[in-house]
Amino acid sequence: MGVSRRFVLQGSAAATALATTMPSFARAGTINVADDPEMKARLMRMVKVAFPHGQFPDSCYERNCDAIMGAASGNPGQITMFMQGMHDLKDAGFDDMDDAAALAHLQSIEGTPFFQLMRGTTVLTLYNDHEVWEILGYEGASFDQGGYINRGFNDLDWLPDPRITEL
Amino acid sequence: MNAIAQDEAAVVIVGSGAGGGTMAFELTKAGIPCVLLEAGKHFSIDDWVNDEWEAFGQMAWLDARTTSGSWRVATDFSGLPAWLVKAVGGTTTHWAGATPRFLDYEFKARSTYGDVEGATLLDWPITLEDMAPYYDAAEKAIGSTHVHGRPPLAANNNYKVFANGAERVGYTKYATGPYGTNAEPYDGRPGSIHDGFNFQGDKNGSKWSTLVREVPRAVDTGLCDLRPESHVVKITHDASGKVNAVIYVDKDGNLQRQAAKAVCVAGNSIETARLLLLSDSSMFPNGLANSSDQVGRNYMRHLTGSMYAWFDKPVNMHRGETMAGIIKDEVTHNPDRGFVGGYYMETLALGPAFLAAFIEPGAWGPEFANWMDHYNKMAGMWIVGEDMPQATNRVTLSSTTDQWGLPVANVHFDDHPNDIAMREYAYEKAEALYNAVGAVGTHRTPPYPSTHNLGTCRMSANPEDGVVDKWGRAHDVPNLFVSDGSVMTTGAAANPTLTIVAHAIRQAEYLASELKAGNI
Repeated sequence: MGVSRRFVLQGSAAATALATTMPSFARAGTINVADDPEMKARLMRMVKVAFPHGQFPDSCYERNCDAIMGAASGNPGQITMFMQGMHDLKDAGFDDMDDAAALAHLQSIEGTPFFQLMRGTTVLTLYNDHEVWEILGYEGASFDQGGYINRGFNDLDWLPDPRITEL
Repeated sequence: MNAIAQDEAAVVIVGSGAGGGTMAFELTKAGIPCVLLEAGKHFSIDDWVNDEWEAFGQMAWLDARTTSGSWRVATDFSGLPAWLVKAVGGTTTHWAGATPRFLDYEFKARSTYGDVEGATLLDWPITLEDMAPYYDAAEKAIGSTHVHGRPPLAANNNYKVFANGAERVGYTKYATGPYGTNAEPYDGRPGSIHDGFNFQGDKNGSKWSTLVREVPRAVDTGLCDLRPESHVVKITHDASGKVNAVIYVDKDGNLQRQAAKAVCVAGNSIETARLLLLSDSSMFPNGLANSSDQVGRNYMRHLTGSMYAWFDKPVNMHRGETMAGIIKDEVTHNPDRGFVGGYYMETLALGPAFLAAFIEPGAWGPEFANWMDHYNKMAGMWIVGEDMPQATNRVTLSSTTDQWGLPVANVHFDDHPNDIAMREYAYEKAEALYNAVGAVGTHRTPPYPSTHNLGTCRMSANPEDGVVDKWGRAHDVPNLFVSDGSVMTTGAAANPTLTIVAHAIRQAEYLASELKAGNI
């Protein structure tokens, strides 16, 4: 995550420098969340419940989860905060909840730094994903294609053409 | 001869945006050498990128600032009270482009609105009549559409929704401008290709900015010594109380001194006030030009709010110019609406990246996802109206320090009851407009980090009421000028850039005449 975007990432001072390893509480020794499919699956579920888009493929959510784990792994304090949050989700039975119960549970932890790390990172990452843009119908950069002047800037046809100067 | 010796007392301009860039061009055109100091880097339009977050990281002023007060920005964006640019050309490089003039009554806010409890309203010491010729000059400089023979921009999709809604609710004063981007080639720059990016800098060069017009033309006179990455930290004065130099940090972090015969401060309202407060001395213990204690006070940011509406058919608001649509019907003083002053409605479009961050800061869950799912069926508008000046809405020096060890600006803001009443009224009118063309949903988006920052060194007839006189000259310091939106006595409803440019042209003419007469 760029330095600049942290200015709009509130409630997650935790989201700082990128690191590559994530310890897990699950076993001894040097630990890496990438090796923990159960935890990744839980995080995926959490994001999908919090930001439910039926038309987004898993690939979009997976890239977002990678960004969350990257944002969480800045220092030992952040890592343990994140790991504890994941652990608490499991203890609450999150894995077995239906979507309505899972949503209600996330609402109950909305104010925690753990949740805000997930929320803030997702807002800045999921909706900056080019595959997501394509699904939402956003065409992005246009200058190198000559702008939208010949690509539909005025193609709305379900309303009459209005005047463009004052009477 | 562009290099000016650091011990040569020159006219020194701090900031190269709408005010400072215009000052540099107008003064050098009149034969007066200037040193133009800009805190940011010198990008070219080829450096801009059509990507919201990447461009934000490239252009935005991201030096530390702090916030306080009950405004929601202090909660949601506590380190980012304002969304401004740190680069040559300043915030003109990312402005959207709307160029309405202030109206006659807006220069007479105190007389027109009367005594509004809690507001520090004043009449400007100048009138629309004083400003009219300079508005003409500014509109020609910018190349505003719809005026002086410039053609209007074509209607884009977002405008079609906006204008049809306006017609159906009975508004009559709607159009695609005036707008500071060429509809057809003008002044050496091409017509718009409707590329959809404004806040990221216009790669096509159709949009006016001081980066593409005033600054290069000033440099071409041979009289402007432009120094990017030169962050002014102090203005010094002599024993008589006249300013005599500025101290700045260069790109290598070294302190430099430039001698000055006059200083024009144009750092935008937050940094301008901060610089004067940082320039305290035994003679000016409360900050330079601050015997009135008005420096930093009466900070205004315009009312603002946005309305996003979605439909069951495609809109594709991201295609085309961002703000090429304006409704003027609500810009009138009619207290029967429950507030004083008026507001514009203007089209506004964001990409999904910014929309997700700003549509409802902090939001998540199925409702939020549903808004985003309607992205390509969404239309948007911005509400921009006059907010009340208040003595306690204020830029002060924070206990937080910046990368140079200097106190950063703290921006304190509370909405005035008039601001809240106007915003609520405007939201209702905006909903009615979109509902009239079949909206299936609408959302009231709160103000973004402030893009219109005004009033912290306000112009006043009486030196006790403000910081500068009717020329923008400090009441306390005869060779110190403020050349940006800080001078605005009240904010009016209009987007401020045109008025900042017009004021700078007027001030440059005055300063040039004073210099030539030997009065400075």
